[in-house]
This record gives sequence, C-alpha cells and structure tokens, in this order.
Amino acid sequence: MSAKPIATTRSATGIPTGRLAVWWLLASEVVIFGGLLGSYIMHRVGHPEWAEAAAHTQVWFGAFNTLVLLTSSFTAVLAHQAAESGQGKKAAKFLVMTMGGALTFLLVKSIEWTIEISHGYTITTNTFWSFYYTAAGLHGLHVIAGAIIMGFIAVDAWRGRELQRVELIGIYWHFVDLVWIFLFPLLYIAK
Amino acid sequence: MVEATAEVWHAQHEVHEHHGPQGVLKYLWSTDHKVISMQYLFTGMFMAVVGGFMAYVFRMQLAFPGSSVPGFGIVSPGEYNSLVTNHGSIMIFWVAMPVLIAAFGNFLIPLMIGADDMVFPRINRLSFQVFFISALVILGSLFVEGGGFGGAWTAYPPLSAKGVYNQTPLGATLWLIGVALEFVAFLLGGINFITTLMNARAPGMKAYDIPMVCWMIVIASILFMLSVGPLIAGAVMLLFDQTLGTGFYDPAMGGDPVLWQHLFWFFGHPEVYVVMLPAIGITIDIVATFARKKLFGYKLMLYTTVATGVLSFFVWAHHQFISGIDPRMANVFMVTTLLISVPIAELMFVIIATLYGGSIRLATPMLWALAFIAEFLIGGVTGIFLGASGADIYFHDTYFVLAHFHYTFFPIAIIGTFAALTYWFPKMFGKMMSDKLGKIHFWGTIIPFNFIFIPLFVLGMGGQHRRIYNYQHFPDLAGADFQRLRIIATVALLVMLAFQLVFFYNFIRSLLRGEKAPKNPWNANTLEWTTESPPPHGNWPPDQMPKVYRGPYEYGRPDRESDFWPQDEPA
Amino acid sequence: MSEHEQLNERDREQVEERHEHGAEHYRKVYLTLLVLLVLSVAGPFLGIVWVTLITAFGIALVKANLVIQNFMHLRWEKRLVKWVLISSLVLMALFVAGVAPDVMRHEGQNWVNVAAADAVDRGIEDEHAEEEEHAEEGTAVTVADPDAFDAVGQFNLICATCHGSAGDGNGAAGAALDPRPANFTDPAFWETRDDERIKTAIRDGGAAVGGSPLMAPWGVLFDDAQLDTLVEYVKAFRPAGQ
Repeated sequence: MSAKPIATTRSATGIPTGRLAVWWLLASEVVIFGGLLGSYIMHRVGHPEWAEAAAHTQVWFGAFNTLVLLTSSFTAVLAHQAAESGQGKKAAKFLVMTMGGALTFLLVKSIEWTIEISHGYTITTNTFWSFYYTAAGLHGLHVIAGAIIMGFIAVDAWRGRELQRVELIGIYWHFVDLVWIFLFPLLYIAK
Repeated sequence: MVEATAEVWHAQHEVHEHHGPQGVLKYLWSTDHKVISMQYLFTGMFMAVVGGFMAYVFRMQLAFPGSSVPGFGIVSPGEYNSLVTNHGSIMIFWVAMPVLIAAFGNFLIPLMIGADDMVFPRINRLSFQVFFISALVILGSLFVEGGGFGGAWTAYPPLSAKGVYNQTPLGATLWLIGVALEFVAFLLGGINFITTLMNARAPGMKAYDIPMVCWMIVIASILFMLSVGPLIAGAVMLLFDQTLGTGFYDPAMGGDPVLWQHLFWFFGHPEVYVVMLPAIGITIDIVATFARKKLFGYKLMLYTTVATGVLSFFVWAHHQFISGIDPRMANVFMVTTLLISVPIAELMFVIIATLYGGSIRLATPMLWALAFIAEFLIGGVTGIFLGASGADIYFHDTYFVLAHFHYTFFPIAIIGTFAALTYWFPKMFGKMMSDKLGKIHFWGTIIPFNFIFIPLFVLGMGGQHRRIYNYQHFPDLAGADFQRLRIIATVALLVMLAFQLVFFYNFIRSLLRGEKAPKNPWNANTLEWTTESPPPHGNWPPDQMPKVYRGPYEYGRPDRESDFWPQDEPA
Repeated sequence: MSEHEQLNERDREQVEERHEHGAEHYRKVYLTLLVLLVLSVAGPFLGIVWVTLITAFGIALVKANLVIQNFMHLRWEKRLVKWVLISSLVLMALFVAGVAPDVMRHEGQNWVNVAAADAVDRGIEDEHAEEEEHAEEGTAVTVADPDAFDAVGQFNLICATCHGSAGDGNGAAGAALDPRPANFTDPAFWETRDDERIKTAIRDGGAAVGGSPLMAPWGVLFDDAQLDTLVEYVKAFRPAGQ
C-alpha cells in the first residue's frame, strides 16, 4: 500500500482531499454532539431542580481542564505551522506537547470523577448526572482517540513523512477543544 | 506543507502499481473499490435471504395461525415479535443501505467519474469490515438467551429500555450495538463517497457532467451523515438505560420517552430518502439509456433532489402524530409532509418526460426501472393520506401504513437493486445475463408483489393493527373475509419467493456460462462503459485515464450518426 | 497535472497570507482565549443570573468563534466548508426547535406531562428523598424472588406505565392509547369485572378478554400466586362503597 491511487491526488474543489474529509467528519460530529447537548439543554430548561445537582460539579477542575485544552490547541496550531514550513521534527515536538495536554486533561478528569463518585454522584443518581457522565464521557473518548492518532502522526512527522496530516489532526483537535468550550458552561457554570 | 505535498504528489504519479495482498486474501483484504462493492453486494444479498425467510415465517403464522411453519416450527408470540423487528431492521439497515448505497456507490462512483479508486481505499475497507461485524452482531442477537429483540425496528422506550418489559435484555442490547456499528460503517463510507465525488472527478468533468446516480448516492450520504448524529447520541443514551439503569427515557426519573421518538425519526425520516435517492438515480440512468433520449431537465432534477433532501429534515414528526406531541407542531409537520410530495412528484415527472418520445427498448433493466416508477407512485400517493394528521389518527399503526411503506421500500430496495444489477451486471462480472430468464423473474416478482400488499391496504382500512401475532383473538378482525385476504397475501409471498430462485439460477448460470460481455453492451454514454468488462485493477491504464467533454445523457442527437455520444469522446 | 499545480498555487497564497500573521497572531488569539476563560469563571461570582448567562454562553460563543476562525483556519478556508458547518449547526437548531415543544415544556395545548412535572416537584421539595426513592426503584427491578413478591413495585413498574400509579388510567404511555387504559377508580369499570377476568387480562393480554389489544400478555412474568396478589392490588383501587 505504498502508493496512493490517482483519485486521492485529485482536487476538483481546490481543497486537499484529506482536509475536505476532516471537515465532513466534523460536520457529522457536530450533529452527534448537537443531538446530545440539545437533548440535555431541553431537559435542563424543563427541570429547574437540576440546578441543585449541578451545584455539586467541580468548577475549578472544569476551569483547569479548559485551560489545558486551550493550551493544547495552541501547541497544535504551532505544530501545524511548523509542518507547513517543512520542519517535521519541530512539528512532532509540538504534537507531543499536545498529547501531554490530552494526558493531563484525562488525569484531571479521572481525579474529578473519583471525587464525585465517592460523594455518591454516579451516573444513575439522577438524569442530570446521567447527562453529565455521558456527555463528558463521549468527549473523553474523543480526547483519547485524538491523542492516539496524534501519536502515529507525530512519528511520521518526525521522519518527515505525510506532513499534511499534522494539519488534519490539528483541525480535529481544535474541534475537541470546541466541544469542551461548550460543555464547560453547560455542565459546570450554569446553575 | 505545499512543497512537501507537491513532491509527494509527483512521486505518486510516477508509481502506479498498487501492492495489494495476493490469492484469496485479494478478495478478503482488498482495498479495490470493486472488490469492496462485491463484498457489500453479497453480504446484502445474504441478509436479504435472511430477511425474506423471516417474512415467510411470520406471514405463514398470520395466514395459518398456530400451525407449524415448515422450516421453522410453531411461532410463539415472542418469536413473532423478534421476527418482525429483525425483518424491518435487516431489510433497511443490512439490505437496502449496503446494496444501494455501499455496493453500487462503491462500484459506480469511481468508474463513473473516471477515477481509479475511492480517495480513501483503506477507510473503504474498514467501512466494510465494521459493517460485516455489525451484520454478525445482528445475526448473533437472534440466537442469544431470550431470543432476538422484539420491540419493533423503531425501538421505542420504555419497551426497548428495560429488559423486564421486552423480555429480551441481551437481544435488545445486541440489536442496539449492531445498529450503532452499522451507522459507524456508513459514516466512514459516506465521507469517502462525498470526498471522492467532490475531489476525484476526471479532468473536464464539471458538476453538471456527473451522472445522476452518483449525485443521488452522494446526496443520500450527506443526508445520512447530517441526520444520524442525534440518533447515535440517542443510542448511547438508550444503551445506558438498558445496561446501567439510567433514566434518559424514563419520566419518573426526569427523562422523556418522546425524546427517543424525536431522535429516532429525525434520522428515520431522512433515512427513507437516503435509500430512495440512489434508487431514483439508478432509474434515471437506465431510463435515459433505454429511451435513447437526453434526460429531461438535468439541472431541474438536481435542484429538486437537493430541495427534497433539505425538506426531508423538516418532516420527521409526522411519524408521531398520535404520540402525544404538541398539536401545533403536528400542524407544522403536516404541512411540510404534504409539501415534500411536490419535489418527489417533480422527479417522477422528469423521468416520465424523458420517456416521452424516446425510442424505448424494453430490456430487463428497463422493465425494472419502469416498474419502479409505477409501484413507487402507489407508495407515494398513499403516503399523502398518512401525512394528513387527521387521517393518520385512524390509519396510524394499521396495515395501511405497513402496505404504504412496503410500496415505497420494495420498489427502492428490491426493484431498484434488480434494475441496477441487471443493468451493470455485464460491467461488474464481465458476463451477460439471460434476458429471457430476467423477464420471467421480473413478472414473477412484480405481479405477486401487488397481490401481497394491495390486500394489506384493505386490511388496514378495515382497522387491522400491526404487530399482532394472532388475529383470531380479536372478534372484529377474526372474520373469514379478512382471513382470506391474509391468505392471499401469504400465498402471493410464497410465489414471489419461489420466483427469486429464477434470479439466483440466472445469476449463477450467467457467472459461470454467460456470454462474454463487450465493453459497452447497452451503448451507454457514461465513463464506466469505456473500460474493460470487468474493469481491471485501477479501472483504466494509468496513462489512459479518461477525460470528459460533455454531459452523460447525450442520446439520440439528430446532428450525429450514432445515437449516443460517450462522455470521453473528443468533439 | 496542471490541475494540481493550480491547486498548489491557490493553497500557497492561502498559506502565505496566514504566515504573515504567524506565531505572533496565534499567541494573541491564545491570550485572548485565556482572558475570556477567566471572565467566564468569574461571571457567576457576581450572583446575577443574566450576567452568568452572558459570561457563560456568550463567552463560549466568542471563544468558539476565535478557535474556529484562527486555529482551524476557517477564515482562510473555501466557502464550501463554511456552508457544510453552518448547515450542520442549523440542522441542530431545527432539531431543538422541533423537539422543544414536547420535551422542554411539561404542559401545552390539551396535554400535561404529569410524570415530568411530578419529577420537578419532587426534586424541588426534597432532593435527597428523591434519591432514596430511586434507590428503592432500582432494587425493585432486580428483585425477582417469588417469596418476596412485591405487587406494588411490580404494578408501578409494569402496569403504571399505562394505568397510572394511582390506577386511574392516566399513565405516561397511556395518554395516546385508543381505547384508553382501564380506569380502576371508575365505579363503572367494576360493574363488569370479576377476579378471574382481571387475572386473564393480566396473564393473556387485553385481547383475551375482548379488551384492547394494546394491553400485552404478562403471563411469562408472573406465576399463579403472584397474579392473584396483583389482582388483589388492582382491587385496592376500587372506590369505596362498591
């Protein structure tokens, strides 16, 4: 599978094929998260008593994780810039930093969940907590998937191969960041 | 990045050989779009046999309640529920979608737009593998303890959410996982179809030079991608309700069962168009070829299709008129539902206008295409009764609904598939099919089909509810006149299933001993007919990739001697 | 080949435009994002609802826009991509608009979502009591020990969905049924019923006694003694004096 088909190299729209595919992937992700968060918002407005439950979320953990993800987005965009100017090794370093961000995020998340579960707030406590764990869990899966793919791309980038992929994983990573930007006020701040 | 990618491109243009696996693995582990298309086709055909067998078993139970069904035995109420549920799920998710979108999309898109493969061959392979696993999961779910899921293919909670209600906790969870995996497979495949059509077109092929069937498959993929998301989220929520005991759909715990209905139909209604559009695209290509006439209004058709796609997102709640939704919303959705019949009617008129004045050749594919129009019209017209919310209060969940959507899905999934298969069989397998056997099979399918479902319309108007395994329990429905209609439908089904043997015989005989197919047996214009039958790996020699000079429907031009004008022939 | 060179040309222009701004630009965006984050965390400390809403969701929108435009390069991207993303967002707005009248609100023209309204009341009255109640419900699902048959729990789990936990035929799933689920508190109901008939209806379904086919047979779930206990519980709804 060393060579790509001619089809892959064509670009009738003017957008490179890989990037076009990532945008379509994100459009489908928007509707997945949109469906879940839309359902949550509708229930949240209809159930004022959830404010009580929402008061038990750990705002400072959420805020710190937002900081972590914003920073990792910043390193991802720097990786892309390095890749654009052909500096594969520099791009790989920035990608590793981004993966470090992902790891920190997941660590903080697991500490936060441990605290909440030990206080008796589990996924079945009430439907607010069901939504809380489902939404954050789905987002967490995206973080894990992104970090793993980023690892493969970083190895390739270090060897100077497939540098265009640095941009693609970057776009995906910013989307993961975006989802969190909305999850943070929805789950933590709104009371 | 630019310099780097440019170099990569140049390097790729020099290396054309694909180093794929050899031997049997070539067929199991190939990234060639044609091989993947066959994998989808044969998996879909196998699942169609499974789904057809289920239909046979529960129709027998309805016609001769309580008697032992040959090949199955006595049908218990639970088994009956499981059979109707899985018949619906399999026929839509594992037959209509893989065959119409994945099999023909994979085969036709690269060939029709003059590319050597899909843009992401390995994602394409992954898509099939995920799909194959999903098929195994749904088949496996039929044999677990408690049997397959029996809560109808729409899986409304609370019935689907709690094992204590549906009695099939394991079957329900496996059903949900199977469906979710199938969605993932088609998301992967859909991205591939969309980007391939958008980016990988042959030089010279403009947006209006793309054959209609490619447009239709890609618009269907877009509809699928944009509608399935909420249901994926909803399926995760339902899975947690089933396995962890959350209360997303349990009002006592602050959830809402109507939410699932919205999530399901927000996907479920566009899904109808997802499978319908490819079938219409197939019909258009066949009709233009066999009427030897230019398609009437290419742009009109394309814009109408896009309008249909957009409108299809505005109609979902007409499935829920009596689910306790807000009556004002019911009015809104009734209006949009009746509106969507306008673009669909327009598509039908375009096809009929293409036929008008053409020199029609009634080969087997053309017969199927014409049958599609006729039968689908009946399905469409009966839908208007159901779209009116007042009438729907009476018709809801009766056999009228059932007959209506079988009059849409059967033309789509079965007639559309047979049309495409008989038309592209020479290109796919390099052999001609027998026209005589094809016509026997055609009439042996179409006539019994109408004898199955017209009685069901009558039964539905008589008030016969769906999803009931023995009508002898109901004094109003147990009469001999109703039972006679049920027996007619069942006997017609048996006749139709028997005639499918003719198809399989024709299929296998043609594969083994069929006449060798020329490059372009139907004198068609589109690019797939300019290469060998079957096309070699890479479709065309790398230095002879086609260029496009005109649209796909230049048939019967008075200024030319030959009545067709291939897209790649220089002016 | 010219096709690809053309693409490179276009892509190169785009990249050059981006490089003019370069790392300095990204750093500025990043710092702005951090400032906005501080604001959104600080907002709720003022304790004013509308300020919290603005700092939470208004700022989330601003942050999202900054990330999309600059980090994801949407401002340099082709129009096509913007249309794809906008249509997916519009679809989500459509979804919420279509669903909200049913899910977000608990009452409307000619209908009330009794269960949801109850859930709100219960939650506001005493959250902890509600939690305990759910714990009980949770165990009722798993208890299948016939020695400790809980007729009330089974009725609330299975029958109440349609017949209502008060036996008045007003369960959440019963609202749309035709014919309506039986109302056990209605004296007229009891004029035509005896124990055997109720028992048959539970065991073999409504159709078995000439009632609604929509009442499913539950015979698989209960043995004879349990059915008798359930019948006794149904009879408890019978109005006094009958």
